Amino acid sequence: MSEFGYIPDSANIEQSFGNNKGIFTPKDIYDLTRADKYTNYGQLELIETQTVSTVNTVNFTNLGDYNVHFLTVNNLQVAVTNTRLGVRFYESGVLETAGVYQWAYQQCLQGSGGEFKATSHSSIPIQIEQPINFGGGGYNYFYNLIDNTKFSFLTNQHNRISNAMIGEFGSGVMPQTSEVTGFQIGSYDSSNENFSLTASLYGIKEYS
Amino acid sequence: MGLVQVATNTVTSAVAQVDLVGITTDDVYMVTISGVKLASDQDLNFRVLKSSSPDTTYNYDGASKVLRTDTTFSNSGYVNNDSWFMDFIGNGVDETGNGILYLFNFNNSSEYSFATQEGVAVDDSNPTLKGRTGGVVHTVASASNGIRFFGLSSVNISAGSFTLYKVI
Repeated sequence: MSEFGYIPDSANIEQSFGNNKGIFTPKDIYDLTRADKYTNYGQLELIETQTVSTVNTVNFTNLGDYNVHFLTVNNLQVAVTNTRLGVRFYESGVLETAGVYQWAYQQCLQGSGGEFKATSHSSIPIQIEQPINFGGGGYNYFYNLIDNTKFSFLTNQHNRISNAMIGEFGSGVMPQTSEVTGFQIGSYDSSNENFSLTASLYGIKEYS
Repeated sequence: MGLVQVATNTVTSAVAQVDLVGITTDDVYMVTISGVKLASDQDLNFRVLKSSSPDTTYNYDGASKVLRTDTTFSNSGYVNNDSWFMDFIGNGVDETGNGILYLFNFNNSSEYSFATQEGVAVDDSNPTLKGRTGGVVHTVASASNGIRFFGLSSVNISAGSFTLYKVI
């Protein structure tokens, strides 16, 4: 891309990642970055932020080409107390709603705790029993979503407060070798309760 | 939060270990692990690297919750081990290990090296989900410049992506 960068007496310099030459204007850097030809090792790259209010599903259908994704969920509020939210995966564009998901979570409560797990549920929980008017939050790492030769995994940690603080952490898997093209946040079961939240999906870029 | 890639290694043919080197500042570092397979059923473990050489002394402690769908969760605690536990993985077609580490004080020669871990894998035979969340410490006040992953009992790593980032 010889139009990028200024090099005296050098008219046709091909720019590529790890091999940039020249002096670059901000526009050059912007254009080269968008072309993935500007050297900038490793990034937490924002794919999309969605802020929604009073909906019963949110879809993320652009996953890019990342092995690992990071999802933050903030200010989550639901219409019906103790509603659980979960994720379901789109396999080649088709939402998997069958009872194929496994997960295991540890609940941490004041003075006690407990196990929460399933081997054949219709979603993987990412926020458990969120009360009305308390904005909960959490994060998830997703693994191997776009790899059609591997299962799709996540690890999660989140919090909620009702009468007391409760923290929960765990992991889940859709044990099917398929290309996941997106995911849907919605009710953990068939209740279809409305909720509001801000969720940001990032890709964790790797350069070989 | 931002990430700057420091080192990466994608395994496509069997290797005895994977080293990620390049911790040179007092920043927090993060490691992503995805799609890891071992040559046979075994634990994927990890150690600190000092001047790019593994420290195999018995100074590794860890405490974590083992989450699994086939039986009761368990507490995993160990002291004075010669490495840390990450995931239990095997060589089944669909068995892979995945996880995130955050590394603290690795570059600081006067502090212990700490890490938090969250991992998830499946045992292919069922399949059964097995996860591990907790923390580890290397109880030696010295600088470490990286981390090594390996299979216990000399089991090779046959696949997977390992990447070290500096958190900025």
